[in-house]
Amino acid sequence: MRNNRRDKSKGLLSALAMLMLACALLVPTTALALTTNKATARPNEDGGSGVIGGLDTRLTWEGTVEAGEEVSAVTLTLPDDGTFDDSSTKITVLEGLSRASVEGEAVASGSKLEVTFSEPITEGYLLRLEVEGMRFPSEGGDVVVGGTYVNQDGEQQLADSKPIATIANTPLQALVASLDEAAWVQVWNSNPFLGMFFKPQLLVTAFATLVPGWLLCLLIVVIAYPFAIVLGLIFALMKISKNRLLRLIAIVYVNVLRGTPLFLQIYIMFFGLPMMNINIDNNVLGVIVIAINASAYLAEIFRAGIQSIPQGQYEAASSLGMNYFQTMFDIILPQTIRRVIPTVTSDFITSYKDTSLLSSVGVMELMMFAKNLTSVSGNMTPYVAAAIFYLIVTLPLIKAVGYVEERIAHSERGGGPRPKGKTAKTSAAEAGVKLSELAVHAEALDDEHAYAPTLTPSFASEV
Amino acid sequence: MSNQITRRGFISAAAASATTIALAACGSAAPGGDAAAEYTLVEEGKLIVASDLDFPPLDSFEDGEAKGFDVDLSKEIGERLGLEVEYLPPTNFDAIIPMIKQGGKADIGNSAFSITEERKAEIDFTEAYLDSNLGIAVKSDSDAKDEEALNDAAKKIAVQSGTTGEAYAKENMSAATIVPLTTVTECMAGLSTGHYDAVCADLPVVGNMCTVSFTDCEVAVEIPTGEQYGIVVSKDNPGLTAAINEALADMEADGTMAELKEKWFGTTD
Repeated sequence: MRNNRRDKSKGLLSALAMLMLACALLVPTTALALTTNKATARPNEDGGSGVIGGLDTRLTWEGTVEAGEEVSAVTLTLPDDGTFDDSSTKITVLEGLSRASVEGEAVASGSKLEVTFSEPITEGYLLRLEVEGMRFPSEGGDVVVGGTYVNQDGEQQLADSKPIATIANTPLQALVASLDEAAWVQVWNSNPFLGMFFKPQLLVTAFATLVPGWLLCLLIVVIAYPFAIVLGLIFALMKISKNRLLRLIAIVYVNVLRGTPLFLQIYIMFFGLPMMNINIDNNVLGVIVIAINASAYLAEIFRAGIQSIPQGQYEAASSLGMNYFQTMFDIILPQTIRRVIPTVTSDFITSYKDTSLLSSVGVMELMMFAKNLTSVSGNMTPYVAAAIFYLIVTLPLIKAVGYVEERIAHSERGGGPRPKGKTAKTSAAEAGVKLSELAVHAEALDDEHAYAPTLTPSFASEV
Repeated sequence: MSNQITRRGFISAAAASATTIALAACGSAAPGGDAAAEYTLVEEGKLIVASDLDFPPLDSFEDGEAKGFDVDLSKEIGERLGLEVEYLPPTNFDAIIPMIKQGGKADIGNSAFSITEERKAEIDFTEAYLDSNLGIAVKSDSDAKDEEALNDAAKKIAVQSGTTGEAYAKENMSAATIVPLTTVTECMAGLSTGHYDAVCADLPVVGNMCTVSFTDCEVAVEIPTGEQYGIVVSKDNPGLTAAINEALADMEADGTMAELKEKWFGTTD
C-alpha cells in the first residue's frame, strides 16, 4: 500500500514539500536522518493556557525522515523529573496528509519513551507521537525534549526540540488536586446529576476563571445603559410628539428593535457593519448593540410612564405659565422617573443577561468563558458557575425592585414618604409636583412613620 | 501489511460471516451478529443521531434535512441494523458528548468526531471511519498566513468549541486569542468579515467552506495530524458500539464506504 503511494508523483511532491517545510522550520542540523519538527504540550491549567509541570498532559512530538534514511525506532527523553510512566502513546505516520499504515509500540520508563516501529519509516514521512498522560518536571521552567533514534547506521542523537514553557503548580490547581483526592468529593461526583452540574473541582476552577468574563458583562451593560436611557427618552418624546415625522421615525425604530430578536440584531451589527467597511472593536460594538436594543424597550417604558401622568398635571403646569420643556423636565419627567424605576430596573436585568448572546460573535464575556471550560471538561458545572455570577447581580436588583415597588404602592395608597416642611421649597415647579401628591402623601419621612398610613393632607404646611 | 488493516480485515470477514449466518437463519429478520440483541435504544426501532449539522461536506442541514457524508453513513448503518434513522435538530457540537454520556436523548453522536484520548475518557468510539487533518483558513488578502505569524497577541483565531482545531490552536498558537464559537460557519463568517485573523478547523471542512461559501478566504496551512473520525456511543451501550463496528466493517468490505467517499469527497483516498 505504501509502496504504491510512493510511486505517485503527488506523493513525492508532497513528501518534498514536507521536507522543505521541515528544513525551513527547524533545527539547523540537516545531517540528521530524523529532523525534529516540533514538540508542543497541551495546556493543562484548568481554564488557563499554562502547561503545569507534575500534572498529566499530552506531549506532541513531530519529526520528518530525511532523504535516503530509514528510521526504525525513536526514543524521547525528558529532563530527569519529567516522566512518561503510565502514559499512552498514539503513533501517527503521515505522507503528506495521508496516513500511512505503520504501527509501533511505545514503552515508557521514567523520563524515557522508547518507540519502535513495525517496519522502518522511510524518507519523507512525518512521524507524529502524541503521548497522553505524561508529566513535565514539577518545578516548571523551559523543558527541552531530546532523545535518540535508530536508523540503518545505528543509534543517533536526536536534535533537541525548541523549549516548551512550563510552570510550577498554581495554588488553584493544588486546591483542585486536593479536591480530587477528597473522599466526599468522590461520593458527591458519583451521583450523575451532582457530578455533571455541581462538580466541586470545576466549580472552584470556574469561579476563578470566569471573573474576567463576568467583569466584561458588567462593563458592557454599565456603559451601555446610560446611553440606552438617553436614547430611550429621546425616542419616547418623539413618539408622543405632535410632529408626524418624528412620531413615525420613533414608531419604526421602537417596533423594529422590539419586534426582532436581539440575536439577529447582534448578527447584523457584527457581520453587517464590517461588510460596509465599518470596523469597530468587538467590545465597543457589544456596548452599541446592547444600548440600542435596550433603548427601544426603554422608549416604550418611558412613553407609558409619561402618559400615565394625569392630564391635570399639564393643566396645572400651564396655569403656572410653564412652557412645554419646563412642563416636561420640571413636572412630568420627575414623576415619570419615580414610576418607571421598577420597570427600568427589570429591563436592566434583561440587558445584563442579554450580554450572554454576545458570546456567539466572539465577545469574551461570561458565557464564552463558561462554554470554553465546558467544552474542555465535557461537564456542565461551568454553566452553573456562570449562572451564579449572573445571580450575584440580578438577585439584589430583583430584591431592590420589589422594595421600590412596595414603597411606591404604599405611597400611592397614601402611606409614602414626603419631605418635611422645613426642607420643602415653594417654587412653582415644586408646587406643581405637590399638587398631584396632595391627596396621597403622608407627612412622615422618618422610618417610624413611613409605614403608618395617614390620610391627613399636609397642604397647609407645604404651601 | 499492518495490524490495523489485518484487524479490520478480520472484523469485516467475521462480520460478513455473522451476517450471512444471521440472514440464513432468520430470513428477513433484523440483521446483525450476537451484539445486535444487546444494545439499548432511546426509542425502540429507531437510531437517534445527534450532530451539529454545520460541518459541510460531512454534516449539513439543508431545506430542513440532514445531509452529508456522516448523514449517509448513519443512514447506511441504520439500514444495516434494521433501525430507522432519526436526526435530532442541529445540536451544539460541544453539547453532543455530554448528551450521549447522560443518555436519554440520542443513541449516537455522529458529527465528525476525531478520536482522542480525552473524549475516550467520557464516551466510547466506534472504529475510525474516515481520516482527517486540520487546516488553518485566513482571508486571502491577509499578511499573516502561517502559524508563526498568527501566534501573536494581536491575532484572534476562531475555532469551533470543543474541537481538535481548538486544542491545536491552544497548544500551538498560545500567544493569540483563541475565540471558541458554536459552529464553523460562525467562525468563517467572522473571518470573512474581519473579526478574526484565522480559523483553525478540520481540513475537509475549511477547504469546502473556502471554495463554496467564503471565497474571499483560503486554506493557508494544511496541518498533517492524521486524526480519524469515529462515531460516539455511550459507555453504557457497548453492544451498540459493537453492532456499529460490524456495520462499518461490512461497509468497508462491500465497497459502500468507498462509494460514499466518492460521492462526498470525489475521491476514495
